[in-house]
Amino acid sequence: MEIKNRRTFLQIISGGIIAFFIFIWNKLTLNHIEISGEKEKMLPFNKNKTISFYGNYIIVNQENKTTVLSSHCTHLGCRIDKQENGRLVCPCHGSEYDLNGSVLKGPAYKNLRIVPSEITDEGKNILIKG
Amino acid sequence: MAKKKNKTTFGTLALAMFWLVAVSGVFLAIPFDVKSPYLSISNMMVSNPWASLIRNFHYWSSQFFLVFSLIHLYDHFHYKQKVGLKKGMAFRLSLAVLTISLAMISGFLLKGDADSEQARQILKTLSERIPLIGESLAYSLLGDSENYQLIYVHHIATFTIFIAIAMVEHSRKYWPPISDFILSFVGTLGISYLLSAPLHDNLNPAVKGPWYFVGFQEILHWLKHPEWSLLLFLGVLLLIYFVNSAKGKTMFLSKRTLLVFSAFYGILTIIGLFFRGENWKWETPWNNEYSYSVLHNFKTPKVKLSPDYTIREAMSSPVIQGRKESCLACHTNTHGFTDSHSPEAIGCFSCHGGNPFATGKKQSHRNMILIPGNLNTANQSCGTTQCHPEIVERVPTGLMATLSGMISVDRFVFNEQDNPDILTDVHRLGNSAADEHLKNLCVRCHLGNPKTVYGPITETSRGGGCLACHLNYSEEAKNALAQNNGDLINAHPEISLKITNNHCFGCHSRSGRISTSYEGWHETTLLASEMPDSSNYRLIEESRVFIKKKEDVHHQLGLQCIDCHHSYEVMGDGNHYAHQEDQQDVQCSDCHIDGQPKIISAEDLDNESAIIAALRFGNISERKFLVTEKHNRALINTFVENDSIYFLTKNSGKKMTMKSPAAVCTRDNAHSSLSCSSCHTSWAPTCIGCHNSFDENERAYNMIKNQEQKGGWVEYIGEYKAQQPTLGIRKTENKTEVIPVLPGMILTIDKKSFSKNENDADIFHRLYAPAAPHTTSAKGRSCVSCHNDPVALGYGEGELKYEIKNGEGKWLFNAKYENIEDGLPADAWVDFLKTRDGKVSTRSNVFPFSVEQQKNILTVGACLTCHSENSELMKKSLNNFDDLLKNRSSRCVSPDWE
Repeated sequence: MEIKNRRTFLQIISGGIIAFFIFIWNKLTLNHIEISGEKEKMLPFNKNKTISFYGNYIIVNQENKTTVLSSHCTHLGCRIDKQENGRLVCPCHGSEYDLNGSVLKGPAYKNLRIVPSEITDEGKNILIKG
Repeated sequence: MAKKKNKTTFGTLALAMFWLVAVSGVFLAIPFDVKSPYLSISNMMVSNPWASLIRNFHYWSSQFFLVFSLIHLYDHFHYKQKVGLKKGMAFRLSLAVLTISLAMISGFLLKGDADSEQARQILKTLSERIPLIGESLAYSLLGDSENYQLIYVHHIATFTIFIAIAMVEHSRKYWPPISDFILSFVGTLGISYLLSAPLHDNLNPAVKGPWYFVGFQEILHWLKHPEWSLLLFLGVLLLIYFVNSAKGKTMFLSKRTLLVFSAFYGILTIIGLFFRGENWKWETPWNNEYSYSVLHNFKTPKVKLSPDYTIREAMSSPVIQGRKESCLACHTNTHGFTDSHSPEAIGCFSCHGGNPFATGKKQSHRNMILIPGNLNTANQSCGTTQCHPEIVERVPTGLMATLSGMISVDRFVFNEQDNPDILTDVHRLGNSAADEHLKNLCVRCHLGNPKTVYGPITETSRGGGCLACHLNYSEEAKNALAQNNGDLINAHPEISLKITNNHCFGCHSRSGRISTSYEGWHETTLLASEMPDSSNYRLIEESRVFIKKKEDVHHQLGLQCIDCHHSYEVMGDGNHYAHQEDQQDVQCSDCHIDGQPKIISAEDLDNESAIIAALRFGNISERKFLVTEKHNRALINTFVENDSIYFLTKNSGKKMTMKSPAAVCTRDNAHSSLSCSSCHTSWAPTCIGCHNSFDENERAYNMIKNQEQKGGWVEYIGEYKAQQPTLGIRKTENKTEVIPVLPGMILTIDKKSFSKNENDADIFHRLYAPAAPHTTSAKGRSCVSCHNDPVALGYGEGELKYEIKNGEGKWLFNAKYENIEDGLPADAWVDFLKTRDGKVSTRSNVFPFSVEQQKNILTVGACLTCHSENSELMKKSLNNFDDLLKNRSSRCVSPDWE
């Protein structure tokens, strides 16, 4: 009985230590993401190019409107870097979106995220926020 | 006991492989640069064959480690006996399976190529979607998206240490039997020498995970919520746990479930590896794209310990788009390119394919595209993501690639379809009489017809995709090609915007003969041997004899084809058009403007036009360009400055001012429905009366297969003439206009010669075709050349006479040619003062003049028989003809139409 209690006690303590480490790990990682994450990004802007692919972003100009979309497919996050017949096509599993980021073909079912942006420097650059 | 201890099992082989992986990994760390992994690996492959060998060794030993570990598991599972491990050990072994997967995938990610980058995104997204700890877990596993530091740390330390501990605890030994070790070493070394570890070229659009996860990739592609797939993974680990620790039914069911799952997963892996291509689309081996889209993963070079170049040459070759290419280590000093296509900018691989990481000539040149730019491979060269994908996508939709109009009209003429405007494509030709006729006689000129021999574009060239227009050989490149004796050629032809009339000539000197007419040459029926020795004659393609005629006024001024025709007309704008006049955008009135010009400023130009304008004319930032009326496209070689309109020739930059149309053209109350070309065409080539029959003994040519065949359609031509064109009416939604037309198809077709069916009657057609003669003259045609001319009115050649008898005027016509099978003269479109309907032209919207219209024209013609067209009276008549007619003198006799 004594042994069992002792083992239970040790198990609880071990569990606690593990939980503590998980807590510390989670905290430090989230803090690190917070302090090292990029908040804003300035990219060159060409209002006459219908679609521009810049790493994590797709800049779409149509009908005098500029939209910045996240280039990450909402299915599994693959980076979309091409268009076919005016559709943004994911290279990993073939999900397709229109130029507003709306899903046209699965497996993705969520639209591409629209990223807030602002055109600056008299139209030469675009500031992407987030 | 000793024997049992040293017995070779897949477990001991896996242990041997583990050590080989670990040791080779330490060696690999020397040349590997975690700050730029892709560049450092490509550099190893190109410049350091020993490093490449050790990378291959690391790769193959790790793959065998995985395979042997899995077989080792299976060894235990396929027996019905229990494994019977303690729960703690079983748990850690399941965890080890997970860790092995992570070690493998982290190694895959450390390549830093296109496959790896997408796999990293997938892993990140899946991890992030784990509740509560997802974000921390994803970051802790993969680190900052801009670098590979944490992945590297986990790969070489975290995962490796855990695997080592689990393995030693599980097997209770550190070392494999020496024989296993030697066997593993030798086998792996041999494979490492023969097959390099994969590295994506970053151009091929097909991306895949590692072979052991393509089955998983297939599952992910079915799932709307792919995060649930993690439960599947967890399930497999649990099953392994039960197999190792449970007994009885649980153990047996776990074993069987794992076996079924393994078989199922194996099938998915085969599907993923061999039947999935770009965008995870289903690809089968008989698909043209299969090799490029699916097999590229398997095309991996052998290690060549003595490359075909020196290390110094490899070191001095430039870094191309983040990678080293071995091509430039041999092909040094290759020159002749424009800046944007220079090897320093795009390397060789971007256009020519092959293997950029192989180090010997043979392997590097395998699967090479010798003549890039042909449409069948354009998406692998000119059209890759970093280059011109949007252009390569739309060129096949344009008429020069589809030949839709030509095919549709031919089928219409063969009575195989009811109207000539159906959209089709040269790649969809069948075996009907019309389609065989097209294959034998017409369809050689489509852009998709591949260029198969080196050399410049000449008058005999047909097709060639992008090269048809953009290829130019310098004298040096031409000479180098002519003297080619197998040595390395340094003089490379240029791919550029220098598109000359010669590029268009090969195709456009045929059929409508736009190119030759533009330069002032008219084809005769003379044989080459009959050609007079005179500068008024020109021999084309060594067989066609042309005679000098009046050149187009634009040609006289030095304008070339591309000075009028912009990129969206020539390369298509992405829309499918039925006929040339639909795709063609530029009209005379876009440049010869009456009133306010329609303009666009440089900053509002579409990207393609802006790039072309800047490449041609330098700084265009302050310019304002004319815009076409029809399709709203910028004419980048025009500009408006101080209320004047200027024009620049595209190739030579010659500046000209643009003339407004003459007052006579812009007057609205007479001739307002005439197109510019109906008046300003000085002549057009015509051909009447041709006969087509199928000769089964003829040595014919199949223009799709590009090969000779026995039996084919033969065309027996009629007479060629150069004369002012006939006029007809084109009715569109927006307007009705008078246009030049030509006797496009007055022909007979002996259909039964093809069908062998005696019931098939000969086909006869009398169809005129709308024309774009390209023989513009500054001065318009005379009044009588229309109002008093039987050819202009569609009656054909002959005597058109206005006769006044007993105070009554009457038009009379005597045809030059005999009536043929439909009762009309051989060259006529309509009978005198009659009209036709039904099948009258090669378009559904082009018609001859109605009887009423003919009468109106001839009424003016009657006046012109007495009054000079330059007389004041006739000039006045342009403003108020009806009043003048009403108040005419008693001497004037107008036609009596009764």
